[in-house]
Amino acid sequence: MRPDSLLIHILTVGVLVYFVLLNGGYLLLNILAMFALRKRAQESVLDDLPQVYSALEPPISIVVPAYNEEATIAASVRSMLQLSYSEMEVIVVNDGSSDRTLQVLTEEFSLVPFPEAYRIQLESKPVRAIYRSTRFPNLRVIDKVNGGKADSLNAGINAARYPLFCGVDADSILQRDSLQRLVRPFLGDPQMVASGGTVRIANGCEVRGGYLTRIGMPRNPWALFQVVEYLRAFLFGRLGWSVINGMLIISGAFGLFRKETVVAVGGYTPGSIGEDMELVVRMHRKLRARGIPYKIEFVADPVCWTEAPEDRKQLRNQRIRWQRGLSESLNSNWGLMFNWHGGVAGWLAFPFFVLFEWLGALVEIFGYVFMAVAWWQGWISWDSAAIFFFVAIGLGILLSAFGLLLEEISFHLYQRPGQLLLLAVIVVAENFGYRQLNSWWRLVGLFKWARGGEAKWGAMNRKASWQRDIN
Amino acid sequence: MDYRPPSDIYLQVALWAGVGTMVLTVLVGLQIVWLRLAMRRLQRREQALTLKWRPLLNAAIAGDELGTLPELAQRDHVLFIKLWLHLQQAVRGEASEGLNRIARRLGCDAYMRGLLVRGNRAERLLATLALGHMRDRESWAALARAAHAADSASSVHALWALVQTDAARSAQEMAPVLLRRDDWPLSQLANILQNVRGEWQLVLALALLRVSPEELPQALRLVAALRIDLPQAQLRGYLASEQADVVLAALRLARTPAVLDQVRGHLGSADWRIRLQAVRALGELGDRSDVARLRASLSDPEWWVRYRAAGALLSLPFLTEAELADLRNADDRYAADMLAQVAAEREVA
Repeated sequence: MRPDSLLIHILTVGVLVYFVLLNGGYLLLNILAMFALRKRAQESVLDDLPQVYSALEPPISIVVPAYNEEATIAASVRSMLQLSYSEMEVIVVNDGSSDRTLQVLTEEFSLVPFPEAYRIQLESKPVRAIYRSTRFPNLRVIDKVNGGKADSLNAGINAARYPLFCGVDADSILQRDSLQRLVRPFLGDPQMVASGGTVRIANGCEVRGGYLTRIGMPRNPWALFQVVEYLRAFLFGRLGWSVINGMLIISGAFGLFRKETVVAVGGYTPGSIGEDMELVVRMHRKLRARGIPYKIEFVADPVCWTEAPEDRKQLRNQRIRWQRGLSESLNSNWGLMFNWHGGVAGWLAFPFFVLFEWLGALVEIFGYVFMAVAWWQGWISWDSAAIFFFVAIGLGILLSAFGLLLEEISFHLYQRPGQLLLLAVIVVAENFGYRQLNSWWRLVGLFKWARGGEAKWGAMNRKASWQRDIN
Repeated sequence: MDYRPPSDIYLQVALWAGVGTMVLTVLVGLQIVWLRLAMRRLQRREQALTLKWRPLLNAAIAGDELGTLPELAQRDHVLFIKLWLHLQQAVRGEASEGLNRIARRLGCDAYMRGLLVRGNRAERLLATLALGHMRDRESWAALARAAHAADSASSVHALWALVQTDAARSAQEMAPVLLRRDDWPLSQLANILQNVRGEWQLVLALALLRVSPEELPQALRLVAALRIDLPQAQLRGYLASEQADVVLAALRLARTPAVLDQVRGHLGSADWRIRLQAVRALGELGDRSDVARLRASLSDPEWWVRYRAAGALLSLPFLTEAELADLRNADDRYAADMLAQVAAEREVA
């Protein structure tokens, strides 16, 4: 065999093996997720009964970073104040907004300056003032110099009074019982240090008074693709890893943490663009290095809803940002990879993320391009190329179908037959262009990260067409 | 380029992997459809059952005399009990007994006993809840076995059922177990024992004497959370312990001035958590002589100790306005800031 033929053969087989390994890994996660969902379903009889509080549930500080959120902040805070939980406080951190965010909060919640003996446990940009609501004693607002989301979260943690804190995006729509569900892993397990909930797409749904009142499907195709994508990412991606204590991400939109542990590992990294993942990976690394037993758990219940980008440009920016965040998180925590004490996180989850989530885009795009070019140039047969695409796309469809199956086993939120049919169509359709486009954006994100330069959040033009606010 | 793969075996494997994937996808699709149809059927059965039984259950709650009851199909027992449980959670006393009577007449007690032994995990949980509401003495042994199981959710609910059935007997049998289980949520235990403290108090105090030193801190935390008072001599022993975690938990139990001397002694502890609990206890039990001690704690290096000291000082009923003003004008900026914050918090509240 000629050397170039051998090279092409190795590349062909290599690409195929990579795709099979990638999807095989996801299928294993699927099986783990199914076990977890089955256990959860067995306990659903308890969920259906009215909940009773004993006032011994651990109190929770909700930390809400807000930057230029004048349009939605009042409704968001109102919904958070109405969450059903025995004891909690809401801390809104105004991150030097240039719009009327602070004025809106002051007017809506009758804020007055509060002489707080602010305690600095984590570094953050200077705090200009602290306010307290005269109408809601458990609401405080921190006004600080702009420093980004991670910096705001650190300031909020400094002001938090309670042992658990919950980071919430200002535009998140929460279920009324979301705290109750998210805190469950902490109730019977002193080793629990963090729990994250499922985030779903709110586009197409109806929201009143800050709460979701009707679950619907978005009409926008970009948002539709993301509905299936989120099912896949949360229902088996995170749940599967959670079963073996290897979850590396808790969504910044809604995550609950033991404050003491977060402070002990240094809090959020200011300036980080993937601050939510970076913190969780660092927690794994540092807690394992110190020999501290811990657990990080995922709560499969749909507790948080978020508005997905509805145009290509915003979606592209979001995905590039996510990939940069992933790159940052992994690169600042290489110490976890194959560490002697790394456990599942260091020996399985971290390498999996490096190989399939981080470098995955590179291999995937290379795989598609290589196969197409190789066939075009006659380096490989039509059969080889066709089988590659058949397997790659087939596995993609199977994974998405599994996501839909898990949803049907557990929550079946999309109850109308038409909704299920639409989701089934999307499960197939997203594999013909959307996923490849996503891989391309991730690749761009990877290159942008490698090239360096300051990462920017970029403006998200929120439409909130689902919002029917009532006062 | 005349590339030929060395063997077609790779392609064949890949092709079959693809075919297998497709077949699996179709099976997943069929499973989704089947699940959806099954869910619809179940919903329809639930609706029919609710329509038929809800008025009768409401009548049972109201204490009305119920004549001949319609037959409850074997397969509807679980759905019926779910509806019945929902109502049980919302009622007490005679209304709850009314629901129990109707369930027994329908043979649900026997059916649930069977599920408790032979059912799957979900059915066992359902049976545990139902039998607890029915205070079913016949299932005591099975419930006790379930309460010893490793499964946290099932075992803690079995404990609840035992407490419902016979509080005194459950205390005798389960107090040692309760003190050793750190997987049972405190909040849930507080709910379970809130109306039976009398039966459990002494038994728990005695059981505490038998737990190992390693289990003692957790056991004391539990006793403190349940607000169970310990005999003074026992409490004094814990307050004098060498184990920081034991002292910490015992300070939470200090609710009598008789242990004030020991509480004051812990104000100088190297462990800030112990200083914090000592300050808190002093705020509740202290006398005028403790003002100076609490004032000193206002300068503690730990924020939480200063916060609690400020709260304790401002709560003292015998502190005069002049003394308060003197405190606020303290030279220590940390102390003054903390007093200002706590005073402002109280104004808002």
